[in-house]
Amino acid sequence: MSTVLEQIEQQIAKLSSKAVKKNTGNIRTIADGVAKIDGLSDVMYNEMVQFPGGAIGIALNLEETEVGCVILGDISKLKEGDEVTTTGKLLSVPVGKALLGRTVDALGNPVDGKGPIDSKEAYPVERIAPGIIVRKSVSQPLFTGIMAIDSMIPIGRGQRELIIGDRGTGKTTITIDTIINQAKINKVGLASGDKAFRPVYSIYVAIGQKNSNIVRTIAALEAAGALEFTVIVSAPAADNPANQYLAPYSGAAIGEWFMENGMDALIVYDDLSKHAVAYRQISLILKRPSGREAYPGDVFYLHSRLLERAARLEGKGSLTALPIIETLAGDVSAYIPTNVISITDGQIFLETDLFNQGIRPAVSVGLSVSRVGSAAQIKATKQVGGKLKGELAQFRELAAFAQFGSDLDAKTKAQLERGGRIVELFKQPAFAPLPIELQVSVLFAMQKGFFDPIELKKVVEAASSLKAFFTTRKDALLAEIRTKAALDKDLEAKLQAACEEWKSSFAA
Amino acid sequence: MASSAKVAQQFARQLVTLSLVDGSVSAERVGGVLAYLEKHAPANAIAVLKAYHRLIATEVAKGEAVVEHAGPVSEAELASIAAALSKHYRRTVTATARERPELIAGLRVHVGDDIYESSVAAQLAALEASV
Repeated sequence: MSTVLEQIEQQIAKLSSKAVKKNTGNIRTIADGVAKIDGLSDVMYNEMVQFPGGAIGIALNLEETEVGCVILGDISKLKEGDEVTTTGKLLSVPVGKALLGRTVDALGNPVDGKGPIDSKEAYPVERIAPGIIVRKSVSQPLFTGIMAIDSMIPIGRGQRELIIGDRGTGKTTITIDTIINQAKINKVGLASGDKAFRPVYSIYVAIGQKNSNIVRTIAALEAAGALEFTVIVSAPAADNPANQYLAPYSGAAIGEWFMENGMDALIVYDDLSKHAVAYRQISLILKRPSGREAYPGDVFYLHSRLLERAARLEGKGSLTALPIIETLAGDVSAYIPTNVISITDGQIFLETDLFNQGIRPAVSVGLSVSRVGSAAQIKATKQVGGKLKGELAQFRELAAFAQFGSDLDAKTKAQLERGGRIVELFKQPAFAPLPIELQVSVLFAMQKGFFDPIELKKVVEAASSLKAFFTTRKDALLAEIRTKAALDKDLEAKLQAACEEWKSSFAA
Repeated sequence: MASSAKVAQQFARQLVTLSLVDGSVSAERVGGVLAYLEKHAPANAIAVLKAYHRLIATEVAKGEAVVEHAGPVSEAELASIAAALSKHYRRTVTATARERPELIAGLRVHVGDDIYESSVAAQLAALEASV
């Protein structure tokens, strides 16, 4: 009973008679989720302000006589003359492992109906990116599970790799595959009991997307068992532009918690084109001067300060960013795409033509690049796939030439044959990422010519058969590749023997 | 349209600067400014006067403390509040009392856009929000 009394006494002590100072203002105008406020002379840039009825705002424009605020939440009850007070706090979101498996809005409030989130910590939404001294170079791979990417455009932990392409080319699918692959690797790694294993947690930020799409993504992640390692930050198209503008920063704050606490995280921004559009809307309503394509002058900084927060830190963890940009008619030279291309450490360009030809994922080898390069690859992948990008680029060039005539020399014919087989091998269904050891096995078989006698149309079938053969019958060999991460003579001999065994069974 | 409003705002701000003596609004100076504007009306006189009114109101509010209270407040208490605020803001602040029974007990002091809240009603509201 005494503890109850103590609790009440503590509560009374908190509510001491000391006067509380508040800085206030009054709404002068309010429109489209933006309020102009008189007063608020003590407000700080990016400070949270309290509106009546529980709505909060962020002070974005500090002018001589008024303050421009974006309002987060229900604005229907606000009116001219309402009192607004400063809070002295910067906008923060809850962070931590309690968010895994949950869907939250841009402010970190749960929107999945699974009850409140028991989070002990909060991180500010806007944060200065880590500096030079604390950063470490990217050298650990982050496997996407997509053979074309892991072998030719490898992504490392702490890297920023842009995924760019027209609508309907499979941009989101690549990121979902990557998240699913992280979950698969996490499960295997955690089950192995290896203390050196570092799981990768994922954050998927949906900006300006249809709610139905977000539901589909969540369902795909849940079906693949990846939701338990994933946080979803949702700012759908129906949300006000302020929430859409803030969502990626909230996601970055959630990811930074993992990074700062010695863990690895992956964040997907789907997509930054819509983010730029939301910011343009806010800026125009705030009457900020507009520039090219009516975007405000700081649209580059909008994305650079966000993507710079992805890093690999010395003695801590990492945050890998996969931003998505949607292009119009394949135009990568538009304003926002060029901005984001220049900020990131490479891009995966997806082509509509390839997608329509049935080459999925529709990765354009010529335009895609990873500036981290082979530093983020395991030795085994380098051994079997080191020359793939060059071979495939040569194939594309030769294939374009070969269309003009059939009189080709034997070497060119062989290159075309090989290239065609590589393209077929890289075809992969959605939501079915391949473990790296299986990718190595398939690429090994390809390099050793096991697919050469197979008819081009049957390569996909043969590859599936090979994968099934390795998964069901060569589990120990796959585990050995996974643990050694490099092909020595012994492992190469075992792989050769396994491929021979498969060849006889496939032909039969 | 937007630029003319901006010009009016800038002009009004200059007039406000002329209306201040030692950081406080001088009634004499304001009278002078108004007399000048009557004789030499600018093109957008209404906009200028509205902006001038708003800015002067803000300046006046900075020097006036409105003490809302639910219970008796003596003249001595008002004077001590005014003295404390004058010291804090480094300008002359006068205090006027206004009865607000809905505060239940305690005081709420408005100075410019600052509010000093020490009322039971505010504490109950804070308790309600924290539970």
